[in-house]
Amino acid sequence: MILVCGIPSETPLRMVTSRLEETGTPFVVFNQREFANCEIWLEVNHGEIGGELRIGERTYPLQEFVGVYPRMMDDRCLPELSDEPPDSSLRSYCRSFHDALTRWMEIAPARVINRCAPMASNSSKPYQSQLIREHGFLIPEILITTDPELVRAFRAKHGRVIYKSISAVRSIVQELNDEDEERLERIRWCPTQFQEYVEGTNVRVHTVGDEVFATAVRSEATDYRYSTRQSGEPAELREVVLSDELTAQCLRLSQSLGLEFAGIDLKVTPDDEVYCFEVNPCPGFSYYEANTGQPISAAVARRLAAGPAHATVCSDAAQVCV
Amino acid sequence: MWLVLCSSSDPSGLWVYEGLRQLGVAPLELVLAEWLGYGSRWEHRLDGSGTHLKIVLPDGRVLCSSRIRGAINRLLAPSPGIAQRAAASDKEYAQAELQAFYLSWLNGLPGVVINRPTSVGLCGPWYHPSEWVYRASRAGLPAPVYRQNGHDAAELGYRSLAPEGAGTIKLITFGGEVFGGRVPDRIVGACVKLAHEAKTQMLGIELYAAENGEWTFANATPCPDLSAGGAPLLKRMAQSLTEGGQP
Repeated sequence: MILVCGIPSETPLRMVTSRLEETGTPFVVFNQREFANCEIWLEVNHGEIGGELRIGERTYPLQEFVGVYPRMMDDRCLPELSDEPPDSSLRSYCRSFHDALTRWMEIAPARVINRCAPMASNSSKPYQSQLIREHGFLIPEILITTDPELVRAFRAKHGRVIYKSISAVRSIVQELNDEDEERLERIRWCPTQFQEYVEGTNVRVHTVGDEVFATAVRSEATDYRYSTRQSGEPAELREVVLSDELTAQCLRLSQSLGLEFAGIDLKVTPDDEVYCFEVNPCPGFSYYEANTGQPISAAVARRLAAGPAHATVCSDAAQVCV
Repeated sequence: MWLVLCSSSDPSGLWVYEGLRQLGVAPLELVLAEWLGYGSRWEHRLDGSGTHLKIVLPDGRVLCSSRIRGAINRLLAPSPGIAQRAAASDKEYAQAELQAFYLSWLNGLPGVVINRPTSVGLCGPWYHPSEWVYRASRAGLPAPVYRQNGHDAAELGYRSLAPEGAGTIKLITFGGEVFGGRVPDRIVGACVKLAHEAKTQMLGIELYAAENGEWTFANATPCPDLSAGGAPLLKRMAQSLTEGGQP
């Protein structure tokens, strides 16, 4: 049995459940919006993990789940809570239910795509860049500072510079322009991240277990996800084939980060140098699949159906769970 | 230089600073979390060849990665000063940005860093008790049955699992050794294995005496009270810092 968690109408989730349906793989969806009608308990006893999850009228032993695909929204932001006061019992049940569910997923002997701890490397882009660099990828030059003068010198050195969140929150890439420079004094309050602009072709590589799907993206925008907004034109996506060496490098990176499913953002320069910007541990792959027909959701469904790995369950990013 | 990074409300961090200073670890700089907040000037760079850090503290001291040889890292979170000054709608964002920034510069510190940060904790892994119990069992430590249900308040999760009134002992594993108390070799071995498998150099492990007399896992922390390890632990930490190499 596969457990899928999130909002059923959300496109990536819907695509995966469709593929599970098509292949006749048994699955159940935990719809976060119906948390009030669900219950969970878990137990760790002599290193064995047990418990039950009730969804509506049906109760499932947790041991029955061989694969889990959590793609959950922040439970604090569920529409069902919008009119609830901060101390409401419904709100506190929602939080504690999601906490128990997450605790189970962190240690469950199922194939979880993905667990929270390995996903957390993406919560700090420059931290993750240090891990990426260890795997032989080029990384762009990065400056994080509270000093406007250093930013001006950085821009003078590189010509084109972008700025973006250090964390995964509000992560939209923007190019630093003259107008931005005029308000640089504001960075004295909080360290801010600047990065050299790298010319080249964006390539998104989805790794699912040992499968790889590479998509080249042509766009004039600084952040192609917002191509229409930033450049007035939508991005153009096409399937590409990576060299064997680059394919292996991407797989090693995902595995070393402990990610069953990852979206790796590369840029290939005109000189064929490969820069890696980040590894997204919860990729919104539907955009790429819809534009190229690459069967990413089918690979995720296959991976879930393959069941648990026979290695020690772990949530360390550095420990490979295959 | 070596750094001791801790909060002013961390007596254990201040104890380590004094102890290492008396053991002759020099130059040794005490860097309080509060000083790293608003008023410090930051420069953190990454490129294909390495990671660089330069901090100018409010008192004018300059901490530069080219001169740093190691650190005792007991930072639990960024100083809340900056995030508190943010507009209400930006507070959570500012806190996330600072947490992300700290994770990166701490990870980039050169030399021996006790403990290095992880993506689940600035001074080492902060696992939930459910995961510690699971890991402790796998490492061979007797552990209580852990139960949680959807009605248990999430904020109550991080707690010692020792029954009320039970006798407890707080051990510190560091560099393959256990400090702070005497327990059977089998328990020592399991404690070392737990720290090793959690990939943390320093781990505080609390055990309680179960009804059958067996030392049983109660809690673990990457930021333990180091004074429990006394002079032997201090000497081992000083040795690790000054001789280089990971313990």
